[in-house]
Amino acid sequence: MILLILLAVAVAGVPGADAQLPDDPSEGGEALGDSLSALADSLDADDPTAGMTEMEKAMFVASQEDRSETSTTVVGPFFQGVVNVPKAGTMANVRQFTYYLDLVTTARFQGNSVLKNTFKWSFEEYRKQDKNVQKRDNVLTYGLGANLPVIISLDGTSNWSEDQTVNTAGYANLSKRNQKRAGIRALRPVLQTGIFTHTLSASASINDQKSINQGQRNDFQEGNVDGGLQSAVRIAPGVSLAGRIYGTATSGERLLGTTTSPSNADGDSLGVGVYYNRGIAVGRVTITGANFEKKYLDFKRNTNGLIDTVGLDESQKVVDELETTDAIAYELDNTFRVGRFGFLTRLTKLTDNLNYTQSGMGLKEKEHDVMDLTLTYATGRDSFATSYDYLWKWDDQRYNGATENRGRQYNKSRDFEFNYFRNLFRRTNLNLRYHEGLVQEIAQYEYNDNDKDRHQIDFSARMDRNWVEKFSTTMVFAYQEVQDYNIRASRSSTNNVKESYEVSPGYGWTISPWLSLDQSYRVYIQYTNYSFAGEDVVNRADDYNKRGNLATKVIIDPSDRLQLTIRHDYNKRFAAAKTATDATGNAYYRRDLNQTTSKIEMGMVFRVVPGVSLEASTYRTKDERQALGPRNAVTTNYSGEMWAGAHVRRRWFKKNPLELSAMVRKYNAFGPSVTETSSDYWESDIWLKWEF
Amino acid sequence: MKTGLAGNRRRLCAVGAIWAGATVLLSGCIFTPRVPEPPGAGVQIDYLPQSSPANVWANLGKSLEASHAPGWEANISQDEFSYIPDDAARDQFPPDTFVGWDRDREINFINGFYNSGVSIIALMVEDGFSFPPPSGSEMTVENIVYYLTVTNDADGSQVRYRGQCDVIFRLEANFWYIYQWRDLQGESDPITGQPLSTMGVLRGSFGSK
Repeated sequence: MILLILLAVAVAGVPGADAQLPDDPSEGGEALGDSLSALADSLDADDPTAGMTEMEKAMFVASQEDRSETSTTVVGPFFQGVVNVPKAGTMANVRQFTYYLDLVTTARFQGNSVLKNTFKWSFEEYRKQDKNVQKRDNVLTYGLGANLPVIISLDGTSNWSEDQTVNTAGYANLSKRNQKRAGIRALRPVLQTGIFTHTLSASASINDQKSINQGQRNDFQEGNVDGGLQSAVRIAPGVSLAGRIYGTATSGERLLGTTTSPSNADGDSLGVGVYYNRGIAVGRVTITGANFEKKYLDFKRNTNGLIDTVGLDESQKVVDELETTDAIAYELDNTFRVGRFGFLTRLTKLTDNLNYTQSGMGLKEKEHDVMDLTLTYATGRDSFATSYDYLWKWDDQRYNGATENRGRQYNKSRDFEFNYFRNLFRRTNLNLRYHEGLVQEIAQYEYNDNDKDRHQIDFSARMDRNWVEKFSTTMVFAYQEVQDYNIRASRSSTNNVKESYEVSPGYGWTISPWLSLDQSYRVYIQYTNYSFAGEDVVNRADDYNKRGNLATKVIIDPSDRLQLTIRHDYNKRFAAAKTATDATGNAYYRRDLNQTTSKIEMGMVFRVVPGVSLEASTYRTKDERQALGPRNAVTTNYSGEMWAGAHVRRRWFKKNPLELSAMVRKYNAFGPSVTETSSDYWESDIWLKWEF
Repeated sequence: MKTGLAGNRRRLCAVGAIWAGATVLLSGCIFTPRVPEPPGAGVQIDYLPQSSPANVWANLGKSLEASHAPGWEANISQDEFSYIPDDAARDQFPPDTFVGWDRDREINFINGFYNSGVSIIALMVEDGFSFPPPSGSEMTVENIVYYLTVTNDADGSQVRYRGQCDVIFRLEANFWYIYQWRDLQGESDPITGQPLSTMGVLRGSFGSK
């Protein structure tokens, strides 16, 4: 994770390249995520905290704060001041009670040097399970600010947790973890040598973990060092060339179960890219390669990578695993803008080889290619966007001990989309959308029977009109066709085509400043036609389903302090199976089910004084099902819920403010699916915070 | 001048229209699915109509036993599906493994799982468990205990999974679908008493590949 923090900070420091940093190479391609993760995470420019725990995010934010504050150096006495922010609270909901205590202490020194400590304690008690979780986390960061020519920060973390769970068979498990970490990192964000701008980073850390779960220990003590250099040069107006090299090494000892063994890991990555913003073109071309080797203790795993120790002696359950990765990513990202036209292109190619010496998985090879093309056009009255996306990926595997590969599993996906918007005439807008997509699963050498195609077409039209300021209407029409085809004979009996239609007119009317009404009516119709319904081996009948839904919502504001909301949903649906088709092709259906559902809901909010409100809501549903057949059966069910509560938000004192927030609700519910623990419970979120 | 601008605009519109038209025409060829083989004898998968949450849940079992991914895809929400793992499963994988687990991730998981060459025996509920009758347009069914035996065809190894979960079902358009699957905890193997993992471990293993 230090790697992530370092590189995210380091990469962000390259002048002129901030807006065009390489994205995560695994973006949209989780297939490569596992073995590229160390490198890939480090390159994620969109969200540098992706994948971090809350604690690690806090560390990252702290490091950013250290960095940002170096730009305006604070002078004055050595000790600038200290701020403590304790916060205590409790939360309750249908699942659990949580009690927590936080204390954030921030001390500021001369030269923007900051010492920050975040302590968190929580206790969770589960209502529906025999389970308690207690956690204690502490993060201490110290940034030296602008006192040195390089940005240096130190951090120490401690994460402790105990999870006690008893399952329904009475088996009690205690999962405990105690992890400690100390680290130092240094960053030189802008170092100019001639025409080159460099960013240098280095870090070192020690990690210590002791944990036990299901009686199995999983401990480690490891040290890590890493370093990176990124250099950029402007090779022409609006064109920059950047290169990046990074290396990491970890060494220590691990204990898994009863086995102890040395562990180590080392890896390196090398990347180069051209970033440009010139004339009508903006974009980048990058190539990144990474290698990783890890040696660690692991449980015995089968060819699918699942832990499989059943029937093994204790001595055979744990193995010394050696994992190696070679990955390379190519990426082209380009945008042309000509007048009102925009043409966006994104091409990526990722390859990844992951090898295990002990796991039954053996060698896994993957490739992931993506092409996205988008054309946009905009004027005052018309605009459209079309896009075509193509994904082609495969993975292959040579099981441990096998002499030949299993066969490639291909996944191909194509998507075309067209969106059109037009202001038809005054206060009237039209939106059209067309989408067509095909997803294919293909097994090379038919090593499995799961080849399948899914073809989908969507079309929708929506028209909105504001007749007058207080009255607006909407009309939506949508059509969808989905073809689900299994290709092999062993799976194709359920192949079908589903056609769905939806028509939905609606209006919104503000009758007066204190009264508004919204009403919409929706009709859904779906036909399912089985491709091989006529075959002797297929006993599926085509079907036809229809549902109508009338939704009404009234909002009443009798005064500034009171708001009432009333909703009503009325649903009527039926299901029918095809019985015959006549000579002219007309289909006949037999109704199997009629269902009517009616739900009325009322809500109230009353603002007693500023910062204090009373709230309540209730609903009741009647559900009537009529099963049609040799014996008609009618079932009627009622369900409902009511809650009432209050919300308070108050703040006292301008200096050393004290803040209270409290939301409390009492729930009562009934109905066929409501259990004892869900029928009567409290929901709350109460906390008190003080800053001094 | 005005005429010139209008002309440019017409030309640009024409280019756009041509591009869009060409793409549509092209799409007609490359969006054609393959021709499936007619079904063989004795390989019927009898999915139940999605007229109740009980049927939807049972269909997942049928999908598992037939390793038939469309059956799984057809029974999870077409709009927004989410999966929430139990703590024990979540802790076995990198922190972001289950973040934003939606329909696409679920489909990726089930295809990866079925394509890995496994045979599955699935008991989706315990003996004696009965689903409440369908009511309204959303229903939470609590404390469902499922039990899977997954045999790996390549090496013959067998791994079992047994978990307790809460599932929210929703009526979307005309049918019931699984809207949210929340695993609560692993349960013990009823035969050996060994504590087993939930399907979160399978999702973490196959969904991230």
